[in-house]
Amino acid sequence: MVKPTFLILNLLLGCGGETDPKKAESGLKRTLPPLSLPSPALRRLNRAQYDSAITSLLGEGLILPSKLEPDVSADGLQAIGAALTTISPRGVEQYEDAAFDLVNQALNENRSELIDCEPERSVDEACASASLSAFAARAWRRPVTDDERSNLVAISTQAATVLDDFDAGLGYGFAAILQSPHFLFRVELGEDGTDGGVRHFTNHEMASRLSFLLWNTIPDRALLAAADAGDLTTDTGLKAQSDRMMDDPRFEHGVRAFFSDMWMLYALDDLTKDPTLFTHMSPTVGASAREETLLGVVQNVVHDDGDYREIFTTTRTFLDRKLASIYAVRAPSREGFAETMLSPDGGRRGFLGQVSFLALQSHAVSSSATLRGKFVREVVLCDYIPPPPAGLNTAIPEVDADAVTLRERVAVHLEDEYCASCHLQMDPIGLGFEQFDGLGHFRRLDHGAEIDPSGELDGEGFNDAWGLSAHVAAHPDLSPCLTQTLVAYASGHSVTRGEDAMVEYLTTGFEYMDHSTRFLFSDLVMSPAFRLAGALE
Amino acid sequence: MKPLNRREVLRGMLGGAAVSVGLPPLEAMFNCSGTAYAAGGGLPTRFGLFFWGNGNLPERWTPSGTGADWTLSDQLAPLAAVKDKITVVSGMSLHTDNVYPHSSGAAGVLTGSNLLSYQDGREDGTFSRPSIDQLIAAEIGGDTIYRSLETGAMPGTVGHSFNGPNNKNPPELSPLAFYERIFGASFRVPGEDGLVDPRLALRRSVLDAVMGDISNLSARVGTADRLRLDQHFTGVRELELRLARLQEDPPNLDACFQPTSPADGFPDVEGRPQISEIHRAMSDLAVMALACDQTRVFSHWFSDPLTNQLYPQATMGHHSLTHDEPGEQPEVNMVTTFIMGELAYMIEKFSEIEEGDETLLDHMVLLATSECSRGQTHAFDEMPLVLAGGANGRLATGLHHRSFTGENVSHLMLTLLRAVGINAASYGVDAGEVFDGLSAIEL
Repeated sequence: MVKPTFLILNLLLGCGGETDPKKAESGLKRTLPPLSLPSPALRRLNRAQYDSAITSLLGEGLILPSKLEPDVSADGLQAIGAALTTISPRGVEQYEDAAFDLVNQALNENRSELIDCEPERSVDEACASASLSAFAARAWRRPVTDDERSNLVAISTQAATVLDDFDAGLGYGFAAILQSPHFLFRVELGEDGTDGGVRHFTNHEMASRLSFLLWNTIPDRALLAAADAGDLTTDTGLKAQSDRMMDDPRFEHGVRAFFSDMWMLYALDDLTKDPTLFTHMSPTVGASAREETLLGVVQNVVHDDGDYREIFTTTRTFLDRKLASIYAVRAPSREGFAETMLSPDGGRRGFLGQVSFLALQSHAVSSSATLRGKFVREVVLCDYIPPPPAGLNTAIPEVDADAVTLRERVAVHLEDEYCASCHLQMDPIGLGFEQFDGLGHFRRLDHGAEIDPSGELDGEGFNDAWGLSAHVAAHPDLSPCLTQTLVAYASGHSVTRGEDAMVEYLTTGFEYMDHSTRFLFSDLVMSPAFRLAGALE
Repeated sequence: MKPLNRREVLRGMLGGAAVSVGLPPLEAMFNCSGTAYAAGGGLPTRFGLFFWGNGNLPERWTPSGTGADWTLSDQLAPLAAVKDKITVVSGMSLHTDNVYPHSSGAAGVLTGSNLLSYQDGREDGTFSRPSIDQLIAAEIGGDTIYRSLETGAMPGTVGHSFNGPNNKNPPELSPLAFYERIFGASFRVPGEDGLVDPRLALRRSVLDAVMGDISNLSARVGTADRLRLDQHFTGVRELELRLARLQEDPPNLDACFQPTSPADGFPDVEGRPQISEIHRAMSDLAVMALACDQTRVFSHWFSDPLTNQLYPQATMGHHSLTHDEPGEQPEVNMVTTFIMGELAYMIEKFSEIEEGDETLLDHMVLLATSECSRGQTHAFDEMPLVLAGGANGRLATGLHHRSFTGENVSHLMLTLLRAVGINAASYGVDAGEVFDGLSAIEL
């Protein structure tokens, strides 16, 4: 399981920000495995996607709804939750409120984006039809049928008659479009091909899949045009669009959304810390911490086309004044975020040295070796740790003369054979981060006693978090885990055993291409895992 | 000018020119509740759920003495003022599987069935069936504007009111937003001769179109998606029905009045949310929502299972305390007692609403419970169960009923279904399933 790691470490430490020219993909030797494909499932737009779709459809500057059906995580990803959950009665009510509110705002603020004709009277079916068709085609990510168009026109005509106002009447049609399942769900069902049991996503479904994966929003006009032309079901057409989209600044939104979901950074909105114990705590720490992590990820993936492992080992980061004070370094800028290099003295580097991880995987009043270790195991390395058995007394001893530091106190987890079977997989990792308190502030002492941050990860010893991060970066499960999580995220389902071969195929490419996450996105998009689905069940 | 009767044709209410809106032919369906009130044929039985996370400490919870002669315990002491209006049931157990700490217990107590985990026995999952509040709402929630209402007190609360698998009713956490939803622009004071807004009918046309879209799409998808779309459809249909009701006169109820608007926001104080203030503002609104017959079913998620919220005066989050506080766990005791104080506030408010010769509390039953008893071990025995209200004379109050054999909590749930008038033969699934109620508390 564990491979020697020095070569990789040397490479990582030696490259110092300079990126070697990329290998040619042509050197990559691998064979496409037999397909095991999940059935297609509707996916609910999440909050961020709803907002970005609305901005794209109705224009900038609107006040977006503060209350909508909440995102739900399932099997570790909100992307999977979106494919399992539905819209509750309360959600229906909220989407209705939001639709009318947004449409009214847009008709006041950005009318010309919605209505491209001058109505002759309060009822003008031709003008209504043109406006509604154009809007629905973008909102629903596909051309509208004649029936759909006439239903929408009928709604608007009725409303325009009652209200004696063309715009107000049209608003009801727009509101219907925004409450339709064709807007609120991603309808990507595929069509039966000639190869029995396999479904092929259509051109417009591919446009939607690409757009939500790479930009976290609805397709732009160019992508819809490519779908209209039938380009997205050909290799060259698909590659051309995915390249264009990854070169576009909006790729950053797709990358941010994926990493936020994978690392649960959305939970930083509800970060709770006892301010009497953590004097650096303030209501904005969570959002700042998320931004630090995402700026680093975007730099690595989008701007540098860098090596994924460097996200765990880099000393380069982006701090605002708040985070700089927690890290006890000079703020790189008076306002907002700016790049800075951390010194090796504090043992802090990479994502696992950041507040976003350290504070989120802690308690309100203290650090947690178990939560931090569990996160590394399950989220970063995709291992599975079973839940603690019910009926077990889970108390850890309080501080006393014999057991002062957390390491001494959680020793019970590791001495008791029953507990150790699971906790040995988590606590020794988490204890490596003990020099960072529950908010991520560096410390040498815990309750007055010296902290020992040494330990081992799957046979690789480390002295502190600095060394631990290097071992995580070099861990053989790191790349397959990223691949597996991206496949699950992109398709909205839990990856099953049958798909191991596809994950391995993509991992081979990812590793060969110097762990380029950008390449992984592109490779996934071109693979059957993104373009095909199993039979409807 | 003679005031327009809303049954007359509305003219030019919004536009300049003459417009006319016919009222939809839906009146027949509203006569049921209206007739019931007019004939004085007894007010309907209402149901409420008060749920808190992380359980209790059984040794400081269980009252001494049983039957009608009993004394409140430490943790239940705040309920003294309403002691004759409550029944404490102790000694009952969950018989469902205890696999996933907290989530198994929540599914067990609220559905009588096991948690449906997402994959490979992973910790997260969904209820496989509707929670008790929604079982009840499905039967008795159809005649009011809202089938059910869900509220929460703690920031970040997600609640566990399930319509079915993967379909949760998210609780409203802002008292102001809750106020605006129930008592805002759409609320009509009973007895006031209001105009019907013609836009209600237009909104209903939009919803008709949405339902058409859902039906058409439903024909193209797989089985799992069809279920999800069915649930979405149900939600749209309910909203349409609600708009239809808003076109009708509200019931004229003596106890109903439009409450004053709560504060806009309850900022944290020294890093801790104002739990009590938020809870009490929500309670006041929930009480009036029932008094105005806006709904007959509500669930209030005081806190979620597993919540690690910092309570007033606590030195650790609640969940951490239950596991890590040594000895007799005085802080866990303090938090549980605090929660019971907040429960008492809500019960007292219900008891202050007069309905005929009795009070709203007499015409409802409120169940207060949690996902386990002792949080430290996620224990399924000695489940905390408090009932308040006599359910229109169907339930005994002022009792401590103790089960000495660890009977299944599902018996109590079956009794609750029957108390609100549902003719249920059983409750729960597999090990959680029972066919008999808890006769000791039934009248």
